[in-house]
Amino acid sequence: MKKYLISRVFSMLVTIILITALTFAMMHSIPGGPFTREKAIPDEILRQLNAKYNLDDPLIIQYLDYMKRLIRFDLGPSFSKVGVSVNDIIVAGMPASARIGLLASIVIIVLGIPLGIISALKQNKPIDYLVMFMATLGITIPSFVVATLIIYFFAGKLGWLPSYGLATPLGYVGPVIALSGFSLSFVSRLTRSSMLEVMRQDYIRTARANGIRELSVIGWHAMKNALIPVVTYLGPMIAAILTGSFVVERIFAIPGIGRYFVDSVSNRDYTTIMGVTVFYAVFYMIMVLLVDIAYVLIDPRIKFGSEN
Amino acid sequence: MSDNKFQFTGNTYSDVETARPSLTYWQDAWRRLKKNKLSMAGLIVIFLILLFGIVGPMFSPYSYSEQINKYKNLPPSLSLYKLGDIYLYSSNDYNLFLVEGNGRVIDKIELDRSRRDIPNKIYTYVLNGEDIKLNFSYKMLPAAQRLDYDFTLEYRGEIATQPDRTRPNILFPFGTDDLGRDLLTRVMYGARISLLVAFIATVVNLFIGVIYGSISGYEGGRVDDIMMRIVDIINSVPLTLYVILLMVWFRGGGLINIIIALSSVFWVNEARLVRGQVLSLKEQEFVLAARIIGVPKMKIILRHLIPNAIGPIIVSMAMMIPSAIFTESFLSFIGLGVSAPQSSWGTLANNALSGLTTYPYQLFFPAMAIALTLLAFNFIGDGLRDALDPRLRK
Repeated sequence: MKKYLISRVFSMLVTIILITALTFAMMHSIPGGPFTREKAIPDEILRQLNAKYNLDDPLIIQYLDYMKRLIRFDLGPSFSKVGVSVNDIIVAGMPASARIGLLASIVIIVLGIPLGIISALKQNKPIDYLVMFMATLGITIPSFVVATLIIYFFAGKLGWLPSYGLATPLGYVGPVIALSGFSLSFVSRLTRSSMLEVMRQDYIRTARANGIRELSVIGWHAMKNALIPVVTYLGPMIAAILTGSFVVERIFAIPGIGRYFVDSVSNRDYTTIMGVTVFYAVFYMIMVLLVDIAYVLIDPRIKFGSEN
Repeated sequence: MSDNKFQFTGNTYSDVETARPSLTYWQDAWRRLKKNKLSMAGLIVIFLILLFGIVGPMFSPYSYSEQINKYKNLPPSLSLYKLGDIYLYSSNDYNLFLVEGNGRVIDKIELDRSRRDIPNKIYTYVLNGEDIKLNFSYKMLPAAQRLDYDFTLEYRGEIATQPDRTRPNILFPFGTDDLGRDLLTRVMYGARISLLVAFIATVVNLFIGVIYGSISGYEGGRVDDIMMRIVDIINSVPLTLYVILLMVWFRGGGLINIIIALSSVFWVNEARLVRGQVLSLKEQEFVLAARIIGVPKMKIILRHLIPNAIGPIIVSMAMMIPSAIFTESFLSFIGLGVSAPQSSWGTLANNALSGLTTYPYQLFFPAMAIALTLLAFNFIGDGLRDALDPRLRK
């Protein structure tokens, strides 16, 4: 376990170094600095600005500086918002993003798994067809379409939901539905197919033959194995929520990291783009590591380090 | 012995073995695919969408970038008000149009700017020297007045409060956007862009992924370790993030840039899949036999391993196309897509966002196109998986 963790953390560090180097090189290879304006800035001021942000150092020194600051969790200043650091942006966007992300994850797991199980148990019955039909729609309709439709119908036509912001609890409904739609559908499909496979196995028949109550056959014996593939999906689910938040936060005007990120992309605010990318990468890697550990703990057939 | 002692009995008895025609792998797969109704429906839909995108713009009287200033934001269906013998349509921002009874827009009626009565909310338009008065003061207080209309039209002393009929817009079947461009043409043109990006990106990803994965799997050992380590590192960040970074780096949404950005990361999934296939195939006897007679490595991979793994590869390709369409529209939606005046379905959806509450049809058509295409490709993919790779059948 210890050895596995050390090697995983080590490879995470390598990945972080590579990703920061890559984004750093990319952002600095773009012609025109952060102070390039339509109206040219006087040379003297430009030189002083460059000196202030150490932009006159060689690139490798700049990168090392960046890494040094990164170790202290300092992502540097934003180039398009004066006096605001990337840390400020992340801290400001974190609560909203975290709340809708967490709610979406809960909805996905709490709704997706039972829906999958119900549809597996009622295979080829109307309810199964209904759930699978909804799941197919959920997988194929992009989140930005779902989000805009929610705004149009539920916020605009019917007036049931607010069309932007998270000021009221109802404000969460739209973003969470749009954010969870894809993964919810995916989880219920995955649960259904893995449940169907498990229910066919001999040990389930044995359990039933032993007179164990149906509820505990399904809820305990079958579930334990059926949910293992679902756990593997948790990593991609986090990725889907992260990238989904870009559009959902933009459409619902939620002041979260995703929206700031998209804003910084359109403003070409390179330090913010880079900082948020690094933040997302590290966050995602830590989450995947946690999921992998959980996976090994749940499934005794898998040993640490033996997986790919 | 004379011939007549023998009699011809006729060819009544034959001992023919019942044999079915032998089917190749592809014939067999096609036979199975044909049985899958959803997949066939998907194929037909994709064929129609291709036709729609490739042939459609040729028959359109408008080009995708042509702006007809007077016909801005015209919806696909027009509520016509009958006044005397003319039909009028008033848009949500009080542009008045003269329309034929069947829904063909004839012209925009000019607003007389000098006689705009803004305090009383009455606009006067002039048609052939005669006034048409549009009174939209009702819109301001619908609850107080308890009327079921919010504007009235007056022409030659006649007042219309209710539309006489609703007719589809004949000139612009999907309506027009905020710059007066025909949406049908834009959606057709968007199909070209979206599908082109998806197809090319998929083929490139497939090419890189198959080569990379098969080399990694076939070589094994150290080479495999290093190659898969690289894949792991790329994969340890959500792939969409790379695509966004690349698009930012390219500083512009040219078609080529999107294709390059999409092609440069999504091959990692393909590489993993092919590696897995090659790992199990390379232990089989026919590969051993090929090695013994001295077939070079590259030839073993190209001639023996990849053709044997073609089933899963094609299935993954069918699944990759919709995800490429999805990613492209996602990029366009957050403002990193093709640059104006070109349009993909994603940019069309993005453009529609600002006027969503007033002009929802502008979102409806591109969104439908995206959803329909993704749905069709998913059905095809499911069917292909069942047809080409029976082991994976659920």
